[in-house]
Amino acid sequence: MSALAAGLALLAAATATGFVWRSRQGVAHAARPETVSARELGTPALGERATLLQFSTEFCAQCPATARLLGGLAGERPGVEHVEIDLTRRAELADRFRIAQTPTTLVLDGAGTVLARIGGTPRRDDIIERLDRTLRSHRVNTIR
Amino acid sequence: MSTPSADRTGIDPRGPRFGAALTSGLLLVTVVLGLAGDDATAFWLLVAITLLFAWGALAGIRRHPFGILFARLVRPRLAPPMELEDPRPPRFAQGVGFAVALAGVVLSLAGVSLAVPIAAAIAFFAAFLNAAFGFCLGCQVYLLLVRARLIPQN
Repeated sequence: MSALAAGLALLAAATATGFVWRSRQGVAHAARPETVSARELGTPALGERATLLQFSTEFCAQCPATARLLGGLAGERPGVEHVEIDLTRRAELADRFRIAQTPTTLVLDGAGTVLARIGGTPRRDDIIERLDRTLRSHRVNTIR
Repeated sequence: MSTPSADRTGIDPRGPRFGAALTSGLLLVTVVLGLAGDDATAFWLLVAITLLFAWGALAGIRRHPFGILFARLVRPRLAPPMELEDPRPPRFAQGVGFAVALAGVVLSLAGVSLAVPIAAAIAFFAAFLNAAFGFCLGCQVYLLLVRARLIPQN
């Protein structure tokens, strides 16, 4: 293979990788069912009806914009909390939740069960649909 | 304990991506020249790229030659950015690029054949993904360092 052809192949491979990566960013995926407690996170409380749990680090270009998006959505919906955890000093949580990139967002129902997982900045329509579906059909935390 | 995200004093996010585009162009040329057998040119091109990465890692992304080029020539022609971003992840990515490019230079001097085009190809992949798709290598590597317990945990 000529050097030029190899260079073009490299460019094509990088381009294909980029498209695949981008197609998976911000999309909600079904998550392994597990329960999160406020205590293990070190936060006062989770949302009564749902929680948007965002994992960030100090060096995270997309985290501030994600926090604004999720905070806004939670603010519009009573009983929904946006909880942001900085993993920089809490590596054990990164392992516990198998965080592979930041931001990673977990959508929890009122009982703290993980319903969906989103890597990268969530796509707005996607997360609104997930969140509103959760509010319509899942358990509310009535234990105070 | 949850910490709210805050924009630190920020930079135009398009600046590092412009720099990454120029850098990936140089790296792709390095790969092709190295594979075509023009070892000397490819080697010195990689040395120059290594020095550029070092500059970015030490002086920061604003004072990188491509950052300065962006600020003077490109930015005035663009609408203001919608938001600013933390300059530390791109700077960290410059450090990662420096390590990869330096490895290529050192291995080449040690006689490892194809060290230059291979190192350049790896660095190209990361720089191109950043330039064309906004992938933040610095952010990704930082998380890996946190999980490897290489970031002080207080």
